[in-house]
Amino acid sequence: MGMLGRELVDTRRWISSEKFDLAFALARVTPGTNIIAFCAAIGALICGLTGAVAAVVALTAPSAVLAVLIVQGFESWQGNRIAMAAIAGTVAAVAGMMWSTIWTILRPHVGGLTRNLQVVLIAGGGFLASWKFHVTPLPIIAAGTLIGFLWKDGERP
Amino acid sequence: MNLLLLYLLLLKASVTSFSGLGSLPMVRNDFVVERQVLTDHQLNMAVVAGRTGPGPNGLYLVCVAYAAGGFPGAVLGFLALVTPAFLVIPLMRWLGKRADIPRVRSAIRGLLLASAGLLLSSSVPLTLDAFTGIFSAVLMTASFAVLTFTRIDSAWLMLGAAAAGLATLMFH
Repeated sequence: MGMLGRELVDTRRWISSEKFDLAFALARVTPGTNIIAFCAAIGALICGLTGAVAAVVALTAPSAVLAVLIVQGFESWQGNRIAMAAIAGTVAAVAGMMWSTIWTILRPHVGGLTRNLQVVLIAGGGFLASWKFHVTPLPIIAAGTLIGFLWKDGERP
Repeated sequence: MNLLLLYLLLLKASVTSFSGLGSLPMVRNDFVVERQVLTDHQLNMAVVAGRTGPGPNGLYLVCVAYAAGGFPGAVLGFLALVTPAFLVIPLMRWLGKRADIPRVRSAIRGLLLASAGLLLSSSVPLTLDAFTGIFSAVLMTASFAVLTFTRIDSAWLMLGAAAAGLATLMFH
């Protein structure tokens, strides 16, 4: 995003820094992967819907093809001891990455009694409902959103 | 697997998440728990493949779709991945004026916290699947530390982890 900002705002001056910031903020509340939404927003601001499509395809299509090729590689390497050792290493790293993602999501919401309580109740409740009682994700997400909507004291002062 | 169903399941996972791996709980629930199209190990491999190359974190959805539906599945997985991004265009018009309303921010916060709880619940079985001994535990901890406390790109981490995995062969 930093690289795009330098290129589009400072060097080429295709959009203002205010619009760039708006695209960044709204991409964070758009469902799906934030960076894809960000590129769609930037593309739309510059060239409308065509720009949005071009930006999203340019960002994702080459990487998607590469990802499928990597999966194919994994499948054909199943019997190879050396390849499987390397894959086992990356699988362990991915597990650590998941915990890092959880921490990254939670960290901005920690601090202060009310905020911590919300983290424990909503995130902890979501975990328990899914892990212990096998509640499906949609009702948990809906409940979390509703609790957040009704209990708005968790704003950072 | 029915391709339309595959697309709709992945779209549901993509639409109800707000980060690359945020869709993982929904994907695991639909593909591993409910329909048993994939195993936890296959899901782990899809996440690894999605994170090994360059590109957005959510790319693992394309790998999941490929594992479940071959090349046509991968194309639909790609579409499910990018479709929600276009919601940002009407959102720029609508929410742009309301993003500062405390109750809207608070609802989004509740949604993010619930997503974190769900991700926690999905991470436990996937971590157990990845755990094969002390070495894997060390790699998990190192991976967590590197991604949390440094700005090193995850692709480098994957390469390092693969090299560490290869190094273990020397000790056996």
